[in-house]
This record gives sequence, C-alpha cells and structure tokens, in this order.
Amino acid sequence: MSGIDWISFVIVAAVALVAACVVISLYALALRMLSTAGKAPHVTPAEFTDAITIVTPAEAAAEAKRIKKAASRSPLTPLQKRLALIVAYTCFVLCALVVLFGIYLIVPALHS
Amino acid sequence: MDLTLIVVLVIALALFFDFTNGFHDTANAMATPIATGAMRPKIAVALAAVLNLVGAFLSTAVAKTISNGLINEGHGGVLITPTMIFAGLVGAIIWNLVTWLYGLPSSSSHALFGGLIGAAIVGAGFGSVDYVVLLDKVILPAVLSPIIAGLVAFCATRLAYAITRRYDRLPDGRAGFRFGQIFSSSLVALAHGTNDAQKTMGVITLVLISAGALAPGSNPPVLVIAACALAIGIGTYTGGWRIIRTLGKGLTDVKPAQGFAAETSTAATILASSHLGFALSTTQVASGSVIGSGLGRRGSSVRWGTAGRIGLGWLMTLPAAAVVGAITALIGLLGFVGVVIDLIIAVGVIVLIFAISKRNRVSARNAFEGVNEVAESGRVVKIRKVKPKKPKRSAA
Repeated sequence: MSGIDWISFVIVAAVALVAACVVISLYALALRMLSTAGKAPHVTPAEFTDAITIVTPAEAAAEAKRIKKAASRSPLTPLQKRLALIVAYTCFVLCALVVLFGIYLIVPALHS
Repeated sequence: MDLTLIVVLVIALALFFDFTNGFHDTANAMATPIATGAMRPKIAVALAAVLNLVGAFLSTAVAKTISNGLINEGHGGVLITPTMIFAGLVGAIIWNLVTWLYGLPSSSSHALFGGLIGAAIVGAGFGSVDYVVLLDKVILPAVLSPIIAGLVAFCATRLAYAITRRYDRLPDGRAGFRFGQIFSSSLVALAHGTNDAQKTMGVITLVLISAGALAPGSNPPVLVIAACALAIGIGTYTGGWRIIRTLGKGLTDVKPAQGFAAETSTAATILASSHLGFALSTTQVASGSVIGSGLGRRGSSVRWGTAGRIGLGWLMTLPAAAVVGAITALIGLLGFVGVVIDLIIAVGVIVLIFAISKRNRVSARNAFEGVNEVAESGRVVKIRKVKPKKPKRSAA
C-alpha cells in the first residue's frame, strides 16, 4: 500500500520495551537487594508537593527507625547481607551504564 | 513588500513559538517527579530548563526535517514564502496557548505542522500538501506512539512492582525510586532539548535561506542555535503549570515506582524512535507512558475522562492550527497591510489568553493544591494507619 513503515514501528516498540525493562529491572533489583541487605533506601518526598502524602519530619524519623529495626530482625548472615549489598551496587552501576549509553545515542557528535 | 521586515518578524515569532514549546513540554519530563515529590517544583523546572538548553546544542540532526517533505517545495512544487511561514507560526502559537489554557498536553510539532499546512493550502492550493507523507509521518505516529509508550510503561511498572514486592512486611525500599526519578526525568528533558529546539532552528534557517541570507542546504548558524536554545530554556523554566497538573495528577495518582517506570519508558521510546530515524512527539509518548503506568499499578485508576479530553485535543491540534494558519495567510495575502493586521490580531488574541489565564492562576505554588488539602486535612485529623493483615503463606 502506501509507504507506511510498519516494521520500523515494531522495531521501535521492541527496542523501547527491552531497554525500559532492562533499566527498570536493574534499578528495582538493586532496591530489592538493598532492602534485603537491611539498608532499604529511605527518600522522603520534598515537602508540600507530594500528590498523595505529606511526610512530616516525625513520620520520616519513625520510618527510618522502622527500617533499622527490620534490618536487625533479618535472618540473613552478615556474609549474605554483604553479598546482597554487592549485587545491589553492581545493579546500580549497570543501570547507570545503560543510561549513559542512552546519552551517547542522543549526542551524534559522540558516535558519528 | 519589505522582505527584511517580514524576515525579522518571522524570526521573532519563531523564537516565541520556541518559548511556548518549552513551557508546554516541561510537563513531559517534570510532571511525574514533581507529583511524587522527587524534586521541588522550582528545582525540577530549572533542571529541565538547563537540560533543554544543553540538549539544543548537542544535536542539530533534526533541524532540517521540518522543511523537508510534507509540503511539496523546490522543483515542481511551491516556493514557501516568509509570509506563509509567518502565518503557520501564528497558527501554531495560538493553538499552543489555547491548549495550555485548558491544561491539555498537546504536541507542539503538530501545531507547527498544522499551521504550516493551513498556510500552504491558502497560498498554493490543496495540491501543495503531500497527504501520504502527512498520514505516514504525522497522523499514524500520533496514533501509535501513545499506544507503544503505554504498553512499555505498563510492562515496566508491573516489573518494578513485582521485583520490589515483599511478602514478609519488611520495608520494600520503593521510596528509592524517588531518587531514580531525578535521573530518568533528566534523560527525558535532555532528549526533548535535542528534538524540539531543532524544529525552530529549522524554521529560522528556512526563512534565512528563502530570504537569501544563507546558502540553500546550509546548517543553522551558531547564533540561531544559541537563540533557540535560550528561548526553549526560558520557556521551560516558566513552566506550564496547568499542563504539569494534568499530567502529574489529572490522569492518575503517580507513585515513585510508577513515575520512574513512566519516565524510563518515555525516554526509551523517544530515544529508540529518534535513533531509528523518525521522531515521535514527546508529549504523546509521555502521556501514553503515564496512562500505561497507571494501568500497571495495582489499585490505581486512570481517569479516562481526562484522557479522553487530551485525545480530543490531539485530534483537533492539526486542523485547528491549520484553520488559524489559513486565516492568517488569507489576511496576509493583502500584502504588507495584511501582515500588520495579522500581527495586531495575533497579539490581541495572545494578550486575551493571558488575561483569561489570570482568572485562575496555576503556578508552582498551587499546581497540586487540591490534593495537598486532602493530605493536610488527613494530618490534622490524625488518621490511624491500618496495618495490613499478615498474608497467608499458603497462597501461591
């Protein structure tokens, strides 16, 4: 029919799906391993902007305490915890590399 | 008619279009991190502005696409006059401001295409538009890009929640996605800068070429690049808070993991498409991602009424900008007097839109106000949090 390039749409969809899933998986796995290692990240939202909840300083402190308490109850051995932490940081680094590759693709001066 | 005067006018209008483009599209990158509280609103828009500025300098590959194809020019086609570009820009700017007034995220490039098409039809008849290219390059991507982005964001959100889900009631660390959002939204802003500032550069270069100031086929001069980068940067910093509100909380309530998934999907889709040769509209991809991530999170709902209004806005963008562009071009046929009448009417409409917008001002301070009142009242009443029941281990 006309010159509609269906194949390139499919390629774009596939590439985007794979790339997004890789980044998400790495970052999520890193967070999962962090919390397994007893170091669940604890990022309070900027005051007044959060669409769902507003976290007061007291609530934030309580959350930090809860995370610490949960970590002390963890059944993992110190070695296992350290291993989880290593996996977490590896995932963060890999995720950053994928994003840097994305930036490399944006800037034509770098690859042409 | 005085050619240099119209050239100066077109350049000024093109820069103003770039400005509206910037403030229309801040939402694409920054609506979700602002909504989840990953960044303070002012800091978020400042970051987006800087990245747009940087992005505009990084690449000039897209700058020529606006003039190539679509409108049959050159041999056997029509010559695009500065007056026609002027009319097209007026159409694009006015439609951008109208959609901003209603808080609708709509594609600035579609508005520009629409305005130019309308002007071309008046100036050179219906034969001047290549409808196959229009369908192939503009309309089909517009239908497909939100679907692709939505699908990607849906899968990404599912994945993010599945990987971080814990059944042992220990902290799941999902707040860490808030930190990741800073980077994912930055990537979207950078990609936007490399794409959208190009369009205006393309238009200005086209005008300079048609006026004989530049040789045909030459690259945009540094001064043009700098001016466009600055215009889109300032526009982004001004922030279209109405659109940020729509994308950040109008479509669905965004949680950090969801926001991170949506932004990553937006960035991946835009980068994949522009790297493989055809640019998708950032706005449509971002809106599709937000809807997809809303569908992907358990217990969240998508407000389809808002989504429908946005879709209607997209449908109308091209024809509406074309009508404005056509009317402007029609008056412009009077010659110099016509252009002056056009300018007076256009400025009048722009001032009117800003005057109407003053009636219910939306800014960094109150973009998410309604929801915050609910949260604030929850704080006053001291709602006791109900602890989730211990899940049954037997369930597979």
